[in-house]
Amino acid sequence: MQETLPLAKSKLLTKRNNRFNLQRFTPLLFLLPALLIFAVFALYPMVNALELSFYDWDGVSVERNFVGLQNYVQIFTQDPVFWTAVRNSIVWVSMSLVIPTTIGLLLALAVNQRLFGRSAFRAIFYLPAIVASIAVATMWSWMYNPILGVVTSTLKSLGLGRLAQDWLGDPNIALYSIFVAYVWQTSGISMVLFLAGLQGVPEELKEAARVDGATPWGVFWNVIMPCLRETFIVVTVLTIINSLKVFDLIVGMTSGGPAQSTQVLALWSYTQSFGLHDYGNGMAISMVLLAITLVIVVPYMIWASRGDEA
Amino acid sequence: MMARLRKADPVLLGLWISLFVVAILWIAPFVFITLTAFKTRPDLVRTGSFGLPTTLAWQNFSNAWDRANLATTALNSTVIALTKVPIGIFISSLAAYALTRMRFRGRHLLFLVIAIGTLIPIQVALAPLFRLILSMGLLNKYLGILLPYIAFGVPYQVFILRGFFRSLPRELDEAAQMDGASHFVIYWRIILPLATPALAALFILDFVATWNEFPIALVILQRQEAWTVPLSLQAFQGQFGNNYTEMNAAIVMAILPVIIVYLIFQRYFVSGLVAGAVKG
Repeated sequence: MQETLPLAKSKLLTKRNNRFNLQRFTPLLFLLPALLIFAVFALYPMVNALELSFYDWDGVSVERNFVGLQNYVQIFTQDPVFWTAVRNSIVWVSMSLVIPTTIGLLLALAVNQRLFGRSAFRAIFYLPAIVASIAVATMWSWMYNPILGVVTSTLKSLGLGRLAQDWLGDPNIALYSIFVAYVWQTSGISMVLFLAGLQGVPEELKEAARVDGATPWGVFWNVIMPCLRETFIVVTVLTIINSLKVFDLIVGMTSGGPAQSTQVLALWSYTQSFGLHDYGNGMAISMVLLAITLVIVVPYMIWASRGDEA
Repeated sequence: MMARLRKADPVLLGLWISLFVVAILWIAPFVFITLTAFKTRPDLVRTGSFGLPTTLAWQNFSNAWDRANLATTALNSTVIALTKVPIGIFISSLAAYALTRMRFRGRHLLFLVIAIGTLIPIQVALAPLFRLILSMGLLNKYLGILLPYIAFGVPYQVFILRGFFRSLPRELDEAAQMDGASHFVIYWRIILPLATPALAALFILDFVATWNEFPIALVILQRQEAWTVPLSLQAFQGQFGNNYTEMNAAIVMAILPVIIVYLIFQRYFVSGLVAGAVKG
C-alpha cells in the first residue's frame, strides 16, 4: 500500500478519526476465518503429531507414556520396514525426477510446435492427472491382472509372453509396476509446467540463434534450456513433494505388499497408527516425512517469494 | 492438414506420428476399462483385451451402481464438494484480500507460512486429525470431513487468489476508498467481481480435487453410508474385485463426471496448475 496517495489517506483518517482504532483490526477480521480453521484443523494436528511422537500410545487407551526419543530410536534401529519405506521413497523420488519429467519435457517441446491437433494432444496427455488416484489404482490393478489384464495379454499377442510377470504380486517388481501407473498419471503435469516455461522463451532469441547457424540441438541446449532454469526448479520441487505424498496409488494397488515390498513413508506411518495401533511410531515416521518435506519446501518458498515485497 | 505437413517438413511429420503413437498409448487404459465395463463375463474370456463386446452389457453398470452404493456415495461426494468449495473459496478470498490490500505487521511472514502450507503432505497429520474429529463427535458426519477439507485447502487457495488480486490495479479500490467505501465493500463490490475468472477456475479445480480426495476421507468416513466415491471404489475392489466387468463399470461411472468437467473447462485446469506452481 506504499503507493497510496499520502494526502488522500490522511484526509480519510481525519475524517473518520473515531473509526481509526477499529480499522487496525480489520485485517484480523478478514484473516480470522481462514486462520482459525487452518490453525485448528491443519496446524494443530501437525503439532499434535510432533507431540505424540514422544509418547508410547495405542491411540485408544486413556493413559499414554512419555518416552522421549524412544520411538525415533525404535524406528531407526528396530524397524526393518521403516528402512524399506525409506529406500522405496528414495527410489520413487529418484525415478520421478528422471522419467515423468523427461517425458513431460519431450511432450512439451513437441506439443509446443505448430502441429495439427496439438490442443487435443495436450488434453490427452494431461487427462490422467485429473482422474482420482484411487481410480487410477483400480484401473491399473485390472490392467496388471496376470491372466486377463491388458499388459500380459498384449505381451502375449506380441509373442513376448515369457516377459509376462505377476506384476503386482512379485515383491521384486511390484514397486516398479505401480510406478508405471504413476508415470502415466503425472507426466502430463510436468508437460503443462514445461509448456508454461516454454511460452516464456523469446521467439527472437531462437530466431537469432538459427540465423547464426545453430542446429536444432544447439538452439535447444543453448537457448531454450537456460530460459527454462526456473521451470526446472519448480518442476523438481513439485516432483519431489508429490513423490513423497504418494499414498492412494499404493493403497489401491498393493496396500504396501507383497511382504511390505511397496511400503513408502506416508503409508507406513498410516499403517503403524491405524493398522498396528502404534501412534508413537507412526507419528515418529510422520515427523521424518515432515522434516524431509520442510528441508525442500522452506528454501524453495523463500526463493520463490523473493522480490515479492511490493 | 496432413498433406501440408508432409510437404512442409518431414521432421514435423515424424514428430506428429510419434506424438500420435504416444497419445494412443495414453488413451489405451481408458479404452481398455471401458471395453471391459461393457462386456459380459463370457465375452471377457472370449474376446481379447481390445476385442469389442458382442453385446453391450448395460446391466454391469446398474449392478455396479447398486453394489458400490453409488447413489449414496455420489450424493455424499456432491454435497461435500458443493459445500466445501464455496466456503473454502470465500474465506480464502477474504484472507487473500487482507494480504494484498491491507498493511499489517507480519504480513510477509504470514504469506510465507501459507505458501509452505501448500506443499505439506496431509498424511503427516492423519492420525491426530482422526483423534480430533473423533473427540468432537464428528466422525462419519459431513461437518467432520468439511472442516479438515476446508483447512487443508486454505493455503493453496489463498496462494492462488493472492497472486490474482495482486494483478488487479490498485487505482480501482483507491478511488472507492476515497469515496468512503469500507474494506468489505471494496472486497465484495470491486475485487470479487473482477476476480470472477480466477474464482471460476479455482471452483472447478477444487471441485475435482475434493471429489477425488482419498486419505482424509479414509480416516474420517468409516461407515458405509458416509463414504464418498473414492472410498466406495476402493471398497468395491476389496470386496468384488474379482467381478472384473462390474468393477470396471464402477470405475467408468466414478471417473466420468470428472472427465466431463475437465473436457468442458480444460483451460481452467491448466491455468490453475500453472498459477499454483509458479510464483504467485
